[in-house]
Amino acid sequence: MKIKILGAWSLFLLIAVSGSVFLEGVQETKSPILSFSRYKLKNGLEVVLSENYSLPIVSVVVAFGAGSIYEEPGKTGLAYFLENMMFQGSANIGPMQHIGHINRIGGVANANTTEDITYFYQTVPSNQLALALWLESDRMRSLEINVAKVEEAKASLLDEIAQRRSTEPYLESSWAFDRLIYPDVAHSHPILGKEEDIRRLSLEDINNFYQTYYVPNNAVLCIVGSFNLARARDLVEKYFGSIPPGKELPPYEPPKPAEKKEIVQSFRELLAPSPAIHLGYRMAAPYSADFYPLTILDYILLKGKSSRLYSRIMRRDNLSLSLSGGIEKRKDVAALKIFAMVNNETMIDICQKAIFSEVQKLRTSFVLDAELQKAKNLFKRDYLRRFSTTMETALFLAEMHFSSVGLEYATGEIDKYLKVTPSEVVGAASRYLGPENSVSLIVRIR
Amino acid sequence: MNLMRTNIIKIIVVCCGLVLLLAPASLAQERFRKSAPIPEPLGKLRLPSVESVRLSNGLSVAAVFENSHPFISLELVIQTGESSSPPELPGLASFTAEMINRGTVAISAADIEERVEFIGGSLTTTVSLDQTRFSFIFLDEYLDQALDLLSQMVLQPAFTEREIVNVKRIQFYDFLEKRRDQDQLARRQLLRLLFKGHPYARGFYNEDVIKNISRKDVLAFFQATYRPNNAIIVLTGNLNLATASRKVSHYFNTWRKSELERPALTAPLPNTERRVCFVDLPQAKDVTLFLGNVIFPLDDPDYFAFSVLNQVLGGALHSRLFMNLRETRQLAYFAFSEIEFFRCCGVYAVKARVRPSACHDAVQEILKELDRIARERVSTFELEQAKSYLIGNFPILVEKLDDLAACTFRIATHSLGSAYWGRFYESVMGVDAERVYDVARKYLLHPPVIVIVGDRSVVIDFIDRFEKIEVFDAKGEYRYTLTKGVVE
Repeated sequence: MKIKILGAWSLFLLIAVSGSVFLEGVQETKSPILSFSRYKLKNGLEVVLSENYSLPIVSVVVAFGAGSIYEEPGKTGLAYFLENMMFQGSANIGPMQHIGHINRIGGVANANTTEDITYFYQTVPSNQLALALWLESDRMRSLEINVAKVEEAKASLLDEIAQRRSTEPYLESSWAFDRLIYPDVAHSHPILGKEEDIRRLSLEDINNFYQTYYVPNNAVLCIVGSFNLARARDLVEKYFGSIPPGKELPPYEPPKPAEKKEIVQSFRELLAPSPAIHLGYRMAAPYSADFYPLTILDYILLKGKSSRLYSRIMRRDNLSLSLSGGIEKRKDVAALKIFAMVNNETMIDICQKAIFSEVQKLRTSFVLDAELQKAKNLFKRDYLRRFSTTMETALFLAEMHFSSVGLEYATGEIDKYLKVTPSEVVGAASRYLGPENSVSLIVRIR
Repeated sequence: MNLMRTNIIKIIVVCCGLVLLLAPASLAQERFRKSAPIPEPLGKLRLPSVESVRLSNGLSVAAVFENSHPFISLELVIQTGESSSPPELPGLASFTAEMINRGTVAISAADIEERVEFIGGSLTTTVSLDQTRFSFIFLDEYLDQALDLLSQMVLQPAFTEREIVNVKRIQFYDFLEKRRDQDQLARRQLLRLLFKGHPYARGFYNEDVIKNISRKDVLAFFQATYRPNNAIIVLTGNLNLATASRKVSHYFNTWRKSELERPALTAPLPNTERRVCFVDLPQAKDVTLFLGNVIFPLDDPDYFAFSVLNQVLGGALHSRLFMNLRETRQLAYFAFSEIEFFRCCGVYAVKARVRPSACHDAVQEILKELDRIARERVSTFELEQAKSYLIGNFPILVEKLDDLAACTFRIATHSLGSAYWGRFYESVMGVDAERVYDVARKYLLHPPVIVIVGDRSVVIDFIDRFEKIEVFDAKGEYRYTLTKGVVE
């Protein structure tokens, strides 16, 4: 199957319709932002190949459908723990040698665990594609897990948690906020895991998680950059073809919708330099019809210095020292999160009211065309930046593979956001940004 | 480590045995998994060319055709930076640059932000010792709007008293914030000491001077330096030089040139005496070390040999400094070396983060490594590894549009030849152990200035081991000298 995203072309049409200026003569030379082909190996491994010959480099991403939402109660932290273990050596590669091999040739490598996906990624000179595949396939088929390594990784993870607790003043309250906004078991614990659970993790727990989730039939391999298609397919077959598939994945139960009820609580932070507000709304599931207008609404409300909340709270009323947030999307749930630090406790109420009043305006009156266009342009900037490197493109492809949209429909995604109308924004706002969907956690200081 | 390898080999043997018994023959025969595959021939690096013209008002325009990104990067560079602030008003260049973002006679500061965001843009201002850079990246259909906005900002700034007060407040708090960054503090102190007595030292002022700046100063500095014959515009994206120069000319043709005073800068001399300086940063948990000295400017023929040297010494995780200080001796959390360039010179620096108790030993190890590389030729293995790193890493460094633009802006403003761009691979490949040895002897035999940043109350017992140490406060002001732990 061959799919092309003619993103730039469709953008051009849209902009032409909206009457904006487009560079003369540019459209002839414009290349599509993304094209790729995909196939599946016998063991179930999904392979996505996307050629881009701009530079002699290639990015390899291996992603597993293995994030913190798949952890059982009492075994939190397993997904992130295993991400760390993946650098500790496999049958043919010594501890930390994965990074060593990549660095020596000028490449870069890293990994990331999210709530639903764990990504392993690297960019290397294009003549070293085989090296990256050799390294990734070895840890997929033969990760070496033993008591000594596990104990070392536990100590280092507990250290990391302690370090973050002592340096991130609002970490504890953000975890407490997550427990309120995502009350279900799968989503309510942090990716880092709970210390008491990490201490109790056994060799068997870790092995089980690896053998269940780090299997070809639960993974996608994305290769983006400068490579010969036939040669890449041969190499993929050579290194990944013989890895045995895992058993059928355990069933995943999506969270039940949270009860519609306003929640207001307070939390004392030991380290926080000033009081703050975590404010959130439970939202439409990712990629559902209302998700697109809500994403554009997020840009109107709080993306950029000219956004409504920034202009009101930071510039006009001087209520807050720092304002951040946005839509957080996970496998099957999403939330709009706003975090504002305020000068003192008396400001909490005023700041909260100001935020509510800005949100309320979005539910009751239409956004003007110019403001909507600005929000879409900022959204477009951030969306298109995800193709600014071969690595980011490969990560995007991996994410889309696991998303409910699926890779085959990824091409049409950007247009869904750019077609959002003022009435869709008001409609989605009135459905999701009411008090019954809101969660407030007031951070007080000791 | 060796023990672990032996274990791994044992496990492999056992596993292979099991596999032979249990799995199909094909699995057992996978000998190719035992060692890293041999790389294929190196791919060809084709970089976009950097072309430029000069408009009639003296404004240089460079264009870099790059059509794989749906953005355009617009860099406006004023060839005047912090070293040109008047000696009695350090910080004036940075202050003026920030004021450019703060409104024109027709557009308020808030409206500038609104317009930048409307075109899916981001605009940042960076002031270095030699240059002031406005970097603007936006969706590529908005070139006209971007040029229109930037030209108004630079040609008709309002410099209102209200915004002057705002900028003073913001820069003051920025300073306090930056002071908490131990690495930045150490770097600034090293450069302040290396450039003492040179106009470059003006770049390392503290927050006390900001209050002295008035609207009159800003206006005078602006009128003297923001001139087309002192500026370069570099456009990177889906456009050619003809389009770039036509568009730039349309929006900037009313910018009037003027006589410029640009005194030639002589390079500062390298430090030649052993000097250890301590900066007291209360509540710092660890210690940051920053050691360095003055070297050649970017367009010097020694550039490539020194880059290879830097790589062997401390450019990556497998380089000597990291391997020695972290892996072997466990003195440091990290230890790297780096090179930074200015118009008339460069500076090499070794930076490391260490435990307070390890600071003396770590300094000694770094000095040993600097001495070793200047006395023994690097091995072929290290040389080839360093070259392979530089060659492999280079395309990754220019992959993002803003990184590419930052690179092409350097090419354009320093008038660097093809050795730095189209022939980068060949330039690196041409370096041999002898050349590395030559540049090491030329630049590393002078003792570096050593800067240590940490909390005095924690480090005091450990810095006693230095014969003589000058103590500074976090603002960079000299306080006193300790000789064998006793205040002089």
